Amino acid sequence: MRANSLKPDSAAPACVLAIDDSPEVLALLSVRLKPEGLKLVTAESYDEGLAMAMELLPDLILLDVDMPEHSGLDLCRRLKEEGATANIPVIFLTGSSDVSTKVHGFDLGAVDYVTKPFHPAELRARVRAALRMKRAQDLLTQRAQIDALTGLRNRAYLDERLAQEMSMAMALGRPLSLIMMDIDHFKNLNDSYGHPFGDLVLQRVGDFLARSVRPCDAVCRYGGEEITLLLTDTPIEGALAVAERVRIQTRELELSPRGQPVMVTASFGVAEALAVLGRTGDKRPSALIVAADEALYTAKREGRDRVQRAQTITPKRDSILRLCPPLTGPPPARRAS
Amino acid sequence: VSEFADDPDMVELVELFVAGIPAQIAKLDAARAAGDPDGVRRLAHQIKGAAGGYGFPTITDAAGRLEATTAGGAPFEEAFAALVQLCRSVRAGAPASARAA
Repeated sequence: MRANSLKPDSAAPACVLAIDDSPEVLALLSVRLKPEGLKLVTAESYDEGLAMAMELLPDLILLDVDMPEHSGLDLCRRLKEEGATANIPVIFLTGSSDVSTKVHGFDLGAVDYVTKPFHPAELRARVRAALRMKRAQDLLTQRAQIDALTGLRNRAYLDERLAQEMSMAMALGRPLSLIMMDIDHFKNLNDSYGHPFGDLVLQRVGDFLARSVRPCDAVCRYGGEEITLLLTDTPIEGALAVAERVRIQTRELELSPRGQPVMVTASFGVAEALAVLGRTGDKRPSALIVAADEALYTAKREGRDRVQRAQTITPKRDSILRLCPPLTGPPPARRAS
Repeated sequence: VSEFADDPDMVELVELFVAGIPAQIAKLDAARAAGDPDGVRRLAHQIKGAAGGYGFPTITDAAGRLEATTAGGAPFEEAFAALVQLCRSVRAGAPASARAA
């Protein structure tokens, strides 16, 4: 799901978690499901099953609803309440052909059931059907996070991914950098050469960006002519080097609307998460975006076509006042395009 | 004899299951001796869930009766004896490893 080429990952086998209090039933499941080429993991209790589901985020859960202590139905309810596991399909395994148990299971969000003793072919067919549905659902989620014009990820993806990467970076003390890129004078390009040309510029930039970062990095169209590059495990120096490379690549794009060559440039603001945390004390993902955005604004103000590193110390109040123009006339636009 | 005695995928697994039966009986005996009907019920529940899948539906039925009896708090000696007797009569049934239990 994470590579910047957006093809579904068909190489990895589906992961199925089976939860049943009987080791014999689990052994039986693993033999019966072997022909499917799945990665099957097992848990023998409610607590173990919940922990493994949260950690592994399997594609499918086979759940015994007749478990002692907490019933499997309670576990199903818990899984559906947790954001991370809510979308994992659950098939329940039941020894009873009691209608009310089945109805209760479906009401709690199970997609299917298999009665014990299960017929091997039926079990496999139901597992296959549930996995087919899960793949289609994953694909839809992925599509909803793709920008239609450039094929890059969109802002919804950035928000979700940034939250994950921030908590990982904070927990592990690993550097995480964000580049905020904005194409210079984009409005002028649109006005002079028409919107189809503006679209073409975004597409060409998106193309080389998707190819020039690592699969673990995320390139997202943030909005308008703004693009973010989220670089995992990358200190500020590395991110500045990437931004500089992208700045040169942008200048070198060969674009000739109406037969005349036009050079496009872009400005860049670069920030690193731990440095932002050190300066602002703000752990929220938005703090990193704000820091990169401020640096981008500085790059624009200082002449565009340049890379600006986010400030690392809080400026003193009087130095801010010096930077601000006197308040005569209407307030300046937030940012020059 | 297991219904899956001729299923090559299952032979090894059924043998393992059958080999584990004496241990299950011992656990049932221990729970009964300890005066622990809940323990008996839990064990019966596990056997009920597993045996059918290994091709022993009659054991599943007997274990189900024992589970239901203990859950109701009634005397369960008869159901208990029936299950243990059935378990003792079980064999895997694979030709190469045919053996009386």
